[in-house]
Amino acid sequence: MSDFEPRIVGFLCNWCSYAGADAAGSARKTYPPNVRVIRVMCTGRIDPQFVIKAFQAGADGVMILGCHPGDCHYKEGNYKALRRFHLLRKMLTQFGIEEERFRLDWVSASEADKFVETISDMVQKVKALGPLKREIAA
Amino acid sequence: MKVRVGVYICSCGTNISENIDIDQLAQFSSSLENVGYVKRNNLLCSEDGKNFLAEDIIKEKPDRVVIVACTPKEHEKTFRNVLQRAGLNPYLFQMVNIREQVAWVTDDKNKATEKAKSYIRAAVKRVTLHEPLEKKEIDCNTDVLVIGAGPAGMEAAHMLAKAGRKVYLVEKNSFIGGRVARYEDVFPKMECASCMLEPKMDEILHDENIELLLNSEVQEVLGFLGNFVVRINKKAGFVDKEKCIGCGACYEHCPVNVKNEFDYNLSDRKAIYVPYTGALPNVPVIDQNKCIRFEGRSEIANEALEAGLITKEEFDRFKHHDCQLCKQACMFDAINYEDTDEIIERNVGGIITATGFELFDPSVLPQYGYGKIPEVYNSLEIERILAQTGPTAGKLLMKNGKEPESVAIIHCIGSRDKDYKDYCSSVCCLYALKFAHMIEKHSPEVKVYDIYADWCVPGKDNQAFLDSIKEWKNFEFIHTTLPMNVVSKIKDDKIDLHCIDISEKKRKVSADMVVLCPAMIPGKDTAKLSELLMISQGREGFFAEGHTKLAPVSTNIEGVFIAGCAQGPKDIQNSVAQGAAAAGQALSILVPGRKLELDVMTAEIDEKVCAECMICVGLCPYKAIVIDKEKKVAVVNTVLCKGCGTCVAACPSGSAKSRHFTAEQIFAEIEEVLK
Amino acid sequence: MAKPKVAFYWCASCGGCEEAVVDLAENILKVVEAVEFVLWPVAMDFKIKDVEALQDGEIAVSFINGSIRTGEQEHIAKLLRKKSGLVVAFGACAHIGGTPGLANFSNREIIFDYVYQKSPSLDNPGKIFPQEKTTVKEGELTLPKFYNTVFTLDQVIDVDYYLPGCAPPPDLIMNAVEAILTGNLPPKGTVLAPDKSLCDTCKRKITKPEKAVIKHIKRVHEVLIDPEKCFLDQGIICLGPATRDGCGERCINANMPCRGCFGSTSRVEDQGAKFLSALSSIIDADSEEEIKKITDSIADPAGIFYYYSLPASMLRRKFI
Repeated sequence: MSDFEPRIVGFLCNWCSYAGADAAGSARKTYPPNVRVIRVMCTGRIDPQFVIKAFQAGADGVMILGCHPGDCHYKEGNYKALRRFHLLRKMLTQFGIEEERFRLDWVSASEADKFVETISDMVQKVKALGPLKREIAA
Repeated sequence: MKVRVGVYICSCGTNISENIDIDQLAQFSSSLENVGYVKRNNLLCSEDGKNFLAEDIIKEKPDRVVIVACTPKEHEKTFRNVLQRAGLNPYLFQMVNIREQVAWVTDDKNKATEKAKSYIRAAVKRVTLHEPLEKKEIDCNTDVLVIGAGPAGMEAAHMLAKAGRKVYLVEKNSFIGGRVARYEDVFPKMECASCMLEPKMDEILHDENIELLLNSEVQEVLGFLGNFVVRINKKAGFVDKEKCIGCGACYEHCPVNVKNEFDYNLSDRKAIYVPYTGALPNVPVIDQNKCIRFEGRSEIANEALEAGLITKEEFDRFKHHDCQLCKQACMFDAINYEDTDEIIERNVGGIITATGFELFDPSVLPQYGYGKIPEVYNSLEIERILAQTGPTAGKLLMKNGKEPESVAIIHCIGSRDKDYKDYCSSVCCLYALKFAHMIEKHSPEVKVYDIYADWCVPGKDNQAFLDSIKEWKNFEFIHTTLPMNVVSKIKDDKIDLHCIDISEKKRKVSADMVVLCPAMIPGKDTAKLSELLMISQGREGFFAEGHTKLAPVSTNIEGVFIAGCAQGPKDIQNSVAQGAAAAGQALSILVPGRKLELDVMTAEIDEKVCAECMICVGLCPYKAIVIDKEKKVAVVNTVLCKGCGTCVAACPSGSAKSRHFTAEQIFAEIEEVLK
Repeated sequence: MAKPKVAFYWCASCGGCEEAVVDLAENILKVVEAVEFVLWPVAMDFKIKDVEALQDGEIAVSFINGSIRTGEQEHIAKLLRKKSGLVVAFGACAHIGGTPGLANFSNREIIFDYVYQKSPSLDNPGKIFPQEKTTVKEGELTLPKFYNTVFTLDQVIDVDYYLPGCAPPPDLIMNAVEAILTGNLPPKGTVLAPDKSLCDTCKRKITKPEKAVIKHIKRVHEVLIDPEKCFLDQGIICLGPATRDGCGERCINANMPCRGCFGSTSRVEDQGAKFLSALSSIIDADSEEEIKKITDSIADPAGIFYYYSLPASMLRRKFI
């Protein structure tokens, strides 16, 4: 398992977490290249279908990074994301997708360090879990 | 029909090229389906780079463009403008961030290149699913409704009127000036409040662009930014302001005597009245609830007869409710008993609500004795007592008509107390100082006790104002702790005040009058207005501002602004500043001759699929989704929609779509990026 | 003129779809008059070899109900596809997997282990399990292969049209049959029911408040259900908003919430995920604690949201 490199999809919101990821770049901080970022305007846009599609298409882990509660550029989008996240994470365990593979966190535009930590932590945790077992014989 | 994608890869000088193999990227990109060509540039955002891009697009005529470069937050707008110039719809374009999120953060060049490739593959697939989006514009009305004619509302109305906008200024009372009309002096300069307000009030009364609607309240608000329809209930006043000259003959003859709310029931008035001498406009109104014509209060008639205010003959006439004493006294025929309430409809583009504050009710805290001990007052009552137009003509007198020997002022009533109001109301320490100054000036022998926990005197003028008191011999500070622990007890005909001071010593002072400084709370119509205007109430019930620091006078509803104490406790200076700020917002958004440009990346609901399940309507923070009752579908108002996509994510039938962030586009990105 | 040939077959099915045909009542006579059945195991004695003997495409239309769970079902589905001009996936199981699809939360091993070993009412001391081939003195006996996964019909063969529902209501069936007989068909792949969600025709819609909120979730046996009000507004999970219309609200009118048997509208890829999104979006809570309290009260979200549609969902089955 030591050479397993997890593939992780990260949904980042334009105003906070995407900017935080850019800030990590401007500060030239390095972090594992396992995460593929998909930009949305607000974490409120994140349809649970997107998360499931990511797992179906081969992701070993999925992250949602949004604005801190109270700071959402569109007022309340991140609260909707939080509500959906809890029910979806619970439901995904019924599909054999462990809780640690799906994560929601808050990263503001200035939190370059937090962005790097969150990514690194997620990669490490999913690496330890191993790939999501997919092949089911007929 | 095949879609031809043009890919442009920027090396960003060496920023990108030193950490990513651009040759590989170029080769990889050409191998992708739909890619028509791949071009490279050293610095696409430079003038040369942009010119190259524009010329190349005109030459190559791609259906879509992908630019592989820095973060879209830096140059997406730049390149959209270039595309527009080159004749390609600016939304048929996707940017790939391989600088901030790949080149600059990945230590291994091979891994960075692989990551960049997966992003390019995703972008190429996504962009083939983009649709051209056109900017939309709508007409807007530039008139403004201002609710509340206090200092904030008057400032806003005046500014707007001077700029040539038509202003409808709605005020629930019969006079303008708000709370400040009740004050004699204002801190810190101790200037005369009415003199200060006079010029502004005069402008309000005479500006042609301002339609002043007194005795009026907003009843209904329909529509949205640039296109509001407002219904206002203008209550009957019964006195024609065109004919009335303000002589006062009418109220001299009125037989009815009731408490005057303007003076907080410390004085009396008639059923036809002006609230105070000098009220503007100087036009009396008839209080329907007290006038015997309208409510047939034969009890009042009885009282008046017993008090000798009317003769038996007049009493008999009252019993038949046909009192015409005021009308008969008026030499200008200004009184019209047939006046009725009227619903007035106005079209406006923006609304400013400046509806002010109330005071926290100290009777909730029985230890202070408010409402039980007669000589315990709140600050607004003392304002009236100290005012020349008030119940005692400005003399500091108790209810029994005598002068007090001592007065105690207690700060922080219900304030900075987590069981009541946890915030500081910012003006109480200053008006406590004002009272002290006024007492010192007019009744210098009176001993003043000031019981406080802290002094809150920010700003460039106020510390000096506080310091000037410290030398007075009749002034004693008692420093206690929070929450306020003062207990009032009647002792003979004085009031004993017991408290524990900051060194934990028990203290007792004796005073004839007690002045309480209660917390400022939102005006009592705040909840009703917040529903009418669909704006949120925030902390402690005040109107919620758009952003604490950056948008203090905006709200979550586009086109509706807030100003003054309705937004939060503040002094007159800051109320006026917010009134001007709100007016400024309205002036800048609603410009005559200019159409309102709408957001492009909005949500859209397909009426063929929408089943009116109502899940989306309550989710929108901007109230941008309404139900079309005829078609039985939900409709997104693109004027108000900000494109957050929350409704789209929630829609269980898939009828809602997010322009430029459709499910198909995001699915494509997800699938390609994981390949 | 020869009557068009019609086949009616059942895979992993309960027989309810066969009964739906019977529910056509008098109309069934019209159907029987207009067509010639070549296969209908529940009602007629045709054999598989009779079907094998037909030309390719000779059957005008095959209505196949039930999901695909065994090798035999897949085999017959493929046979009928070869021999038919049109194939209609009949009923929820063929369309989206149906309740048999819930088996996708386990696999063959887990199922056999329970059914043939652990079930409390079982007595199987010899630990006998079904085998695909068993040799006895008379020869070889075969059983179809039992798949690990339940499939929808279109996951094994090309399907032309879908008749949704558990079971499809008589009027939808008649409309479909008429459309086929008159050749008046919509584009291939269409689900033969309105493309709007159930709320469109639900009588309880007018009671919905403007702002939908869920403060608590109740199961149907925990409360007395108000027969006039919207279920969701009473805190009862109803998949109506995420379910295609056309059933006439048979369950709603019996004062039971919708369970989603018609599948989603054409604009949605995953019915369960979309319903999860709608339900959780309107939960009236903003703190993690409060949100979790409400979401924890749903004991089996996947089972409820994917009651009929698990094999058709994006993930199709549990990762084991």
